[in-house]
Parts: sequence; C-alpha cells; structure tokens
Amino acid sequence: MNIKLLLSDIYWVFWREIKKFLQQKARLMMVVIQPLIWLVLMGNSMSGLTRNPQAAQMLGTGNYLDFMTPGIMIMTALFGGVFGGTTIIWDRRTGYLNKMLAAPIYRAAIPLGKLLSIGLQTVLQALIIVIIALFLGVHFKTGIPGVIALLAIAGLFGIIMGGISLSLSSRIKSMETLMAVSNFLTMPLMFTSNAMFPTNAMPAWLKGIAMANPVSYAVQAMRTISTQGWIWHDILPALAALTGIMVVLVALAIRLFSKSVN
Amino acid sequence: MKTIIEAQGLTKVYSGGILAVDNVSFSVNQGEIFGFLGPNGAGKSTTIALLTTLLSPTKGTATINGIDITKHPYQARLELGFVSQDLAVEDALSGYNNLRLQAGFYHLSRTEVHDRIAEVLKMVDLTGRSKDKVETYSGGMRKRLDIACGLIHRPRILFLDEPTLGLDIQTRREIWKYVNTLREKNNMTIFLTTHYMDEADSLCDRIAIIDRGVIKTLDTPTALKEAIKNEVENPTLDDVFLHHTGKEMREDFTTKEESFKARNNIRRARR
Ligand SMILES: Nc1ncnc2c1ncn2[C@@H]1O[C@H](COP(=O)(O)OP(=O)(O)O)[C@@H](O)[C@H]1O
Ligand SMILES: [Mg+2]
Repeated sequence: MNIKLLLSDIYWVFWREIKKFLQQKARLMMVVIQPLIWLVLMGNSMSGLTRNPQAAQMLGTGNYLDFMTPGIMIMTALFGGVFGGTTIIWDRRTGYLNKMLAAPIYRAAIPLGKLLSIGLQTVLQALIIVIIALFLGVHFKTGIPGVIALLAIAGLFGIIMGGISLSLSSRIKSMETLMAVSNFLTMPLMFTSNAMFPTNAMPAWLKGIAMANPVSYAVQAMRTISTQGWIWHDILPALAALTGIMVVLVALAIRLFSKSVN
Repeated sequence: MKTIIEAQGLTKVYSGGILAVDNVSFSVNQGEIFGFLGPNGAGKSTTIALLTTLLSPTKGTATINGIDITKHPYQARLELGFVSQDLAVEDALSGYNNLRLQAGFYHLSRTEVHDRIAEVLKMVDLTGRSKDKVETYSGGMRKRLDIACGLIHRPRILFLDEPTLGLDIQTRREIWKYVNTLREKNNMTIFLTTHYMDEADSLCDRIAIIDRGVIKTLDTPTALKEAIKNEVENPTLDDVFLHHTGKEMREDFTTKEESFKARNNIRRARR
C-alpha cells in the first residue's frame, strides 16, 4: 500500500464532498437556522425550570441553555452524520460512484473521504452552535480550549454516525429505505439519552438505557467540559469509549463498502 | 495491426442469477472505433463494466493493452478512460473543477494539471465555459465534459457507454465528430456501445451485434450488410440486426434502476 496515494485519494473524495456541501445554499441556511430555533425555543420554554432550585441542581447549572448547548451540538452531529450514507446511494444512482471506481483509487478512500467530510461538516455546525450560544449568553467554563474539545467530540460523534450510515448504505440500495432505517435509529438514540433531560430526572429504567447510550457519553463529557471544568476522570473514559466505537465503525464501513464494490 | 483489447470467454452472472454476458470473446485493434450494438438489456453496459474492472467476471477474462484485468485491475485502469451512460458530471461544480477532481483521482501532478485540463477542454470545445457551473450547461455540453473527464489521463482506450443516449440528433452528430477526431488526431482506440443503428453505421469501423448476452455477429458495417444482400435489397443495419436476432430493436427498460437512470439522463440532457 502506498500511503501517499491513499491520502491523496482520500483528499480528493473529501474535496468533492466539501465543495458540494458549500454549494448548497439552502442546506447551509438550515445549518444556521436549525440550532438557532432549538436554542431560542428550548431556552425560552425551559428557562422556568432553572428558576426551580431543585431542577437547577439536577441540570448541574443555573442556566438551561448551558445545559442544553452540548445536547444540541450532539443532536446536530447525529442528524448530520446519519445521512452521510445517502451520498453513496446517490453516487451509485448518478453513476458517479462508477466514475470514481474506474479510476485507479483505493476503494477505502471513498468511505474515508466521505467520513472525513462528515466530521468537518459536524465541526462547522458545532462551531455555529457555539457562536449562537455565546450570543444567547451561554457560558463555556473552560474557555477556548474547552470549545475546541467540544468541537472535536462533536466531530468524532458525527463520524460515528456517518460510519453507521455508510455501513448501512453498502447493503441498502434505496434512498427511502436508508432514510427510514436512519430515522428508526436516530429517534430512540436521541430520546433515550441525556441530551435534553438530565438522567437524574429520568425513571430508573430509562436512566439505565440512557447511561448505556453512546450519545450520553458524548453529551456527558461535553457537558462536564462546558459547565464544570476539566474533570478528567469523567471525560477520559467517555472519550476512550467514543474513540473505540468510532474505530470499529469506520473499519466496518470500509469493509462493507469494499465488499459491495468487489 | 496491434490487438489492444482481447476478451476471452467473458461471462457475467449477476447475483440474482441473471446471465448478462454469456461467454463473449472478441478482439479490438489499436486505433479503431469498435461498437457494441444491441437493444436495452443486451449486456452492453455489463461488458463495459467488466472491461473497465467495475465488475469481476464470473468466468473468462480480458486483456487491456496486454494487462490482464482480473489479475492487475489497478494497472488496467491506468490504460483506460471510462465514460458511463449516466452523464456522471457534478452539476454543482464548474466544468474546470469537475476536471480538477478527475485529475486528482488519476494522481496527475500539480504542475501538469492545469495544462492537461486546458488540453482536454480544447478537445471538446469547452474552454470558454470552463468556469461556469455545469448546471448551466446544455445536454451536449455535459456529455462533452464527461468525455473530457475520461480523457484527462490520456488513456490508450476510451470506453463510451451509449455516448449519445437522450441527445437530439444534431447533438449526437456533434458527439460523433468529437469521437472521430479523437481517433484521428490522437490515435486513440474507442470502444463504444449504442442501440442506435445510424450511430453504429456511420461511426464504427467494426460492429459486434449483441443480444441477450451473446455476440451474434462481428464485422465492418459494410461487410455485415454485404453478407445479407441475397436476402434483402439494399440492406440496412436494421435488416442485419433482424437477420441475426430474429427481431427488431426493442425499446424497453429492464430494471427499475435502469429506467430511473435513463429518465434522469434524458431529463438532464434536455436542459
Ligand atoms: N446490477 C445488476 N444486477 C442484476 N441484474 C443486472 C444488473 N445490471 C444489469 N442487469 C441485467 O443484466 C442484463 C444486461 O444489462 P446491461 O448490461 O445493463 O444491458 P445494456 O447495457 O445492453 O442495456 C439485463 O437483463 C439487466 O436487467
Ligand atoms: Mg446500458
């Protein structure tokens, strides 16, 4: 294997995805508007909660938006990443996939380049959320290094979801089916996590599920960083678990893709 | 004359059990325009997919400029350019960026990329429009850009799968002109498929008539027509086709995917 060529192939697949992403004006608008709506709406409707001292204690912060911001970052990563596989199905339909495959490029470069672009898109979206959050008065306790860590975790999570989606898209050939399966996956992942409600406020059975849900690890680590500080024994295990999951899913995505194109 | 493509017993059975290409053997000479003529579903695209290493044969193999496609697919890819029947250009990017991307996929060095892109743009007369987004192009321009993409690495052999599908007759003639120039000026070998009789007749040096995965006959258009002169007066390729397959060309799309692509192509080409 020639690493230089592999990296070059990944770069060009990535370049294509990013160029296309930046051309989609409507999608870029959504990237800004969606988190804005979430933050403003949720922040307003839930702010009453934090006036209740008991609730404030459960949230671990006196500001619901402080609590909510990492959750929204992950939610955006979740919905962004999980549709990553649709680009493969689209490329297969338009014939662009064959165009790439007829070229002397490494097969693995196609899923890797796409995942990388999903990662970067997620980071950009997370950054926009941070900026909006700052305008709405959210406080990030660990400052700029903390924000960078938040972006990195969001990116990692985007790649995890992209890995699931790309793996599925090697088997599922229809856009509609992939969308349906993705929705079927994302909704429960979201609502059985601590992204919007603190686990302490959950019934015991849900709490059990929430603790095992990878979405919760990511959100928990991010929430610790943004509202409490560098509490490493909280952050590191979550990061290790997320990295492990990512490696497995990226490998799976590459394997299934390579098999699907023989 | 040098043989540049040599197919020996190429066979493809799809996973559903469909025998798409059935023990096909033929050879293509360097510098000729070789046509695969057959109705939809005959196995033309599958044959091209096998020769361009997009699919691996169930049985048999082929060599491209002496390179065995099953043993050395990577090397074979460097020798060939592939232009699919799907009009696979990126609408959201400029013509230049479509070519830039293609140059990246073929590992062209940064120093030569710009000249090479200018070279292929000139070949298909798109130099003036290269900075515009492809979504502003007409159907014929898109096809020419797609062909330019296939030429970026100066391949020895260009595979064109139904290069004029969905284009109007004027634009089709225009594409023929470019294909002819490629062969004449660059001594390129061109392997194309078509289900248009007139295209095969006026463009190809030799034609293989393929139906249901089998090559029925293979010769120059003139010789094919000569051969049935006793049966039909002033035979056309239509008569040749009828003679060898026992039927007229049919215009049906065999799979859902195929018809989606065809509709998509025609829609895009009409713009
Ligand atoms: N991916 C596929 N899976 C199963 N069958 C296929 C596939 N692609 C094509 N076929 C079938 O193989 C046959 C030949 O198709 P194709 O090579 O596309 O024909 P042509 O290009 O001449 O129209 C058809 O019966 C078609 O339905
Ligand atoms: Mg075809």
